[in-house]
Amino acid sequence: MKLNYSKILSITFISFLLSLMYNHFNPNGLSFVREERKLDWENDSVTSLNKIDSIISDASLSQVKLSDSVVIGKKDEPLESLKKPTAIKLDFTYKLFKQGIQFIDARSKEEFAEGHIEGAINIPFYGSENYLSVINSLNKKEIVITYCSGADCDISILSGDELFKMGFKRVYVFIGGFDEWTKSNYPISKI
Amino acid sequence: MEILYSNKYLLFIIRIVLGFIFIYAGAEKISDPEGFAISISNYRLFPIETINIFAITLPWIELVAGVLMLFGIAVKENSSIICSMLLVFTIAIVISLFRGLSIDCGCFRKGNQIGLLKLGENTLMIIGSFLLILFGSNHFQLKSE
Repeated sequence: MKLNYSKILSITFISFLLSLMYNHFNPNGLSFVREERKLDWENDSVTSLNKIDSIISDASLSQVKLSDSVVIGKKDEPLESLKKPTAIKLDFTYKLFKQGIQFIDARSKEEFAEGHIEGAINIPFYGSENYLSVINSLNKKEIVITYCSGADCDISILSGDELFKMGFKRVYVFIGGFDEWTKSNYPISKI
Repeated sequence: MEILYSNKYLLFIIRIVLGFIFIYAGAEKISDPEGFAISISNYRLFPIETINIFAITLPWIELVAGVLMLFGIAVKENSSIICSMLLVFTIAIVISLFRGLSIDCGCFRKGNQIGLLKLGENTLMIIGSFLLILFGSNHFQLKSE
């Protein structure tokens, strides 16, 4: 087992140089220092809650819809799309839940079967390519909320990113996830 | 038994298979650097600031080692590079499994979750690359006269 260490170093060094060159010219290249993926929080204070209330009372809808026909407060002010997936807290999430907003559980099939937010559908982040028909059956203009186990998991954020790329206009991520939901004794169901 | 392990046809097949696997794995990651960076960050083993460096460089080491291996150039050296990377990946998977993480392994395209199957695959590849380090493979190799 006689190894030529200078060859190993040369191969590694050449690969390293190639990678730097490719990354430099690649339009999708990465910056050398990665910044933490952070979501903006929805202004879930009074403004956003009132926004939901006014949508419901004005339009008398059973489900909040993002379309030009839905107005908030003033009739000529449409509910705008989000620029990116946005994080929401428990109280705001529950408010949306009561309005029948679609929840998407990004956890595995097994975890979903053990318990999930009532009315949620399961689109596991790992294997979401097998759920394209489910994703396509959803209205991309409506609000969707993704969640996973809790603040420690990030697949709800990644799922949110994925849905956003697929054309969903208003994606919320419930950061507290299933753990926070169950701690508050909010409705869950099991398969 | 050593005659079996050092059989030139067996070593040649291992070399070709490992070469193709690493070319594919490297090219897949090079085509989606951000996806690979997310996969690495899911392991939560490294500071977030360092992850892009791994995501930029590792796929190219895989690709170059895979191509050289396929053409039979510096087989032992490239096998040692591949074996080292496989060992690191396997340790990362074992740690993540113990921590109960249910994450994408980042090995190939998305949807390859870490688990015992992945550990088995890696172990086989480690054994294969170790045999190549020991015995090399100069069957059908590209070399200058």
